[in-house]
Amino acid sequence: MAIDERQWFVTFVQTGAGKLLLFMIALLAVAPHFSFWPALLATGAAMAMGLQAKRRSRILFAATWSSAILTTMLGENDTLDNLLDVMAQERAIGMPAEALAIGWLALLALMIAAALYWARRAPHSILARRPLVILLLLLAVLCAAANSELSQGRVRVVLWAGIFVFTPYLWFLPFAVMDMRGRQGEPLMHQMGMLRPFWSPTYLPFGKGAAFLRKHVATSPAELAVTHLKAVKLLCWANVLYGLRSALDWVCMERLHIPSMPAALEAFGAGRAYPVAVAWAAVILSTARYGLKVAYWAHLFIGIARLAGYRLPRGSWRPLEAQTLIEYFNRFHYYFKELLVDLFFIPTFFKVFKQHPRMRMFFATFMAAGVGNALWHFIRDINVVATQGVVFAFSSFTSYLFYCLILATGVGLSQLRANAGFRPSLKWHGRVLSFLTVWGFVVCMHVFSDESRSQSLEQRLRFMASLWGVLEWI
Amino acid sequence: MNAKQKIREYLREQLVNRRDTAAIDDNESLFVSGRLDSFSMMNLVIYLEDNYQVDFSQLEFDVSLVDSINAIASLINDYP
Repeated sequence: MAIDERQWFVTFVQTGAGKLLLFMIALLAVAPHFSFWPALLATGAAMAMGLQAKRRSRILFAATWSSAILTTMLGENDTLDNLLDVMAQERAIGMPAEALAIGWLALLALMIAAALYWARRAPHSILARRPLVILLLLLAVLCAAANSELSQGRVRVVLWAGIFVFTPYLWFLPFAVMDMRGRQGEPLMHQMGMLRPFWSPTYLPFGKGAAFLRKHVATSPAELAVTHLKAVKLLCWANVLYGLRSALDWVCMERLHIPSMPAALEAFGAGRAYPVAVAWAAVILSTARYGLKVAYWAHLFIGIARLAGYRLPRGSWRPLEAQTLIEYFNRFHYYFKELLVDLFFIPTFFKVFKQHPRMRMFFATFMAAGVGNALWHFIRDINVVATQGVVFAFSSFTSYLFYCLILATGVGLSQLRANAGFRPSLKWHGRVLSFLTVWGFVVCMHVFSDESRSQSLEQRLRFMASLWGVLEWI
Repeated sequence: MNAKQKIREYLREQLVNRRDTAAIDDNESLFVSGRLDSFSMMNLVIYLEDNYQVDFSQLEFDVSLVDSINAIASLINDYP
């Protein structure tokens, strides 16, 4: 459906009727995945941004922060749920959770504005040169303070409220600081609007930062029309994938009674293991469901950003065609990979093993796919530290750490092999072999990357051994 | 062969490795546009360090420094 390449469509969507039709289709595509008002706000603001280029920064800022305030006030994000858990734990009955979260949000906005202003004024300061290190240290100090013996009751609730409000912004701030340091940096209002922008209020910067968006903005009415058509196509495709996932659930889980992977793991741990074929089916199904989930959310977010006039690359692009592990890493979750490359790979690459090219590349890849990956996931689930303590947070994370270690080693070796000149065959049997190798690895690793924290690394290793029929070996 | 031609050859080889045989314009974006990925960018950095003694750790690295053939040629020419 190459409608974005057909002149009739490109001309039509530049008319009033065409724009209205685009808006309606986009709203219908987005609405099933959000509450109605966030869908309306995101779609409306995106269309307005695309069509009102001169007011782009103001619309971005207004939509992003009104969305943040409304979702917090209405309890439609994780912040309030996490905060209520800590309040219940501390028996802090009667504390106004919404007001506390909004207060922290306002304070955070002021602090971020001040930090960004400082980064522009003092581009050689430690904050401007090492934003991620400073932010991670700040988070560590806050967590230590909130979990110390000294903070109990309401003090602890207030501290954790600050952490829950702060952590979702952590991975956006380095991009804003880096752009503020540059000569072409966008104005402060635009940078503030890019912090969890209204099209993707998640922990991951879909669209990276202002610098990346600046390079991808549509600059003519025709280019904007093509971008809008690509946006609508992507939003519709997201719904197809969502439907596919629902169909997969219905066929596999309701009709064929294939268990979920956590259920298969739990049954194995309880000594009621499913037959090996069923357990394999559970692992493959769980991998497929996860892959579809990542893809359709990425398509929704990027689709809305495209409506705002940004010609952004897709978040997930034909991952099944990946012929090497490094290619899979590039294709499957593009913006996560970009975050890891920008914040971990590049800084490491320019600092260590400069005299040893292979070691340099491998280590930088390892820091990105391993250390960065683990840090991002641990921080995303920081509420576990609050409600279940540091020891449980780390001990239940060992399986994911193991996954990061193996993935990073695999991606690093794949990178070295590519640099040494290895090219997978393009013939059909070569493609089949590549598919089986890459996806075989991904499926096996999914046993360890599954984010339910209920099973230990040892239990998962034993489960994996049972899948391969070598349980008696360990 | 001058530096610009050598860089063009190097980049063409990188693109062919990715099965991209389309022509490259000297001003065309290679990395921001997605024709080459970030790992290819790092390979290019190693190539420039080894062949033109560019020390990127002394520069404020930004992808725009190496995003097109012309940008790379300017970087090499302007590098002290």
